[in-house]
Amino acid sequence: MRDWRAFVEQRLAGLALEPKERAEVIAEVAEHLEDTCDEMLRQGMTEEEAVRRALSQAGNWRSLQHKIVSAKRKEEVMEKRIRQLWIPGFLTLILSMLFLTALYRLGLRARLFWSGPNAILLYAPWLAGLPLIGALGAYVSSGAGGSRRTALFVSIFPSLALTFAFLFMFPFSLAIELIVGRPVDFSGVATVLLKDGIGWILVPAAALLVGGLLAHLLISARASSRRPAIG
Amino acid sequence: MIAPGIKRGTAELAVLSVLEDGPLHGYEMARRIEEQTHGSLRFTLASLYPLLYRLEKRGWVRGAWETSGGGRRRRCYRLTAEGKKKLAPIRREWAELFKALRRLTKVARA
Repeated sequence: MRDWRAFVEQRLAGLALEPKERAEVIAEVAEHLEDTCDEMLRQGMTEEEAVRRALSQAGNWRSLQHKIVSAKRKEEVMEKRIRQLWIPGFLTLILSMLFLTALYRLGLRARLFWSGPNAILLYAPWLAGLPLIGALGAYVSSGAGGSRRTALFVSIFPSLALTFAFLFMFPFSLAIELIVGRPVDFSGVATVLLKDGIGWILVPAAALLVGGLLAHLLISARASSRRPAIG
Repeated sequence: MIAPGIKRGTAELAVLSVLEDGPLHGYEMARRIEEQTHGSLRFTLASLYPLLYRLEKRGWVRGAWETSGGGRRRRCYRLTAEGKKKLAPIRREWAELFKALRRLTKVARA
């Protein structure tokens, strides 16, 4: 009787998997070949013919080895996160900052939304372009297989980065003021935080999200119009 | 005879459907599919196991070693809850496709 396991082990010698997983694949393939061979023998074939028919199941061993490895290989969670979240997220952030810098260089300044003590500074030309940048981020994330939640998260990534910068910057500057012994006007700081939070974080986030949502709707509509697909 | 391209598309549906009736090992799975489709769908070792491993990686099927009555150890696959959930939309998509093709061929014949 043929030692199928030894045979398969030899044929799949280059199977680049963890030892336990590799041993399992070899055992499973060997079992399949043995079952096939037994069935052929039961049908009255000679042993030589049964073995030949069983082996024809595997086809090209090198190609089978490659198929098994690529089917088994676990995509690294980190690798996936980089492609779906961090790359499109930083792309959105960089584009929004470059866009802001370009507008500033062109001489387009932020405008006060309304006058008075609680005036909020809004950068209208920048806000007008943000939906496009949010849409691009969502599109890149979706293209890399990102979920809806990830794509929308990516679209508002610049605002989240700014929030993080604000949250870090204010306590840091407050601490410096306290160290150098300057009196701190807490109500003034709170007002600035609120006004800048609205003008530089909340409103831009809404503009980015509009773009992200539109891109997502477009991608979903396109995907559903493509179904069902063959092969 | 069904062309290989179409067969590739139906492979997931075939495997998930046959596992709906209960756990099976690879060889038995291939045999059942061939039997139930009257030989139209035939899985070889090279087409079956990479697919099973992919489905397992997605969490749609789960394989576990079991010892049969004859003392042989085999890896049996069963449909997971997620696999069961995925089967319904895949079936719906294929049903839609068949309906569309039927309509198309009727129009072509008319």
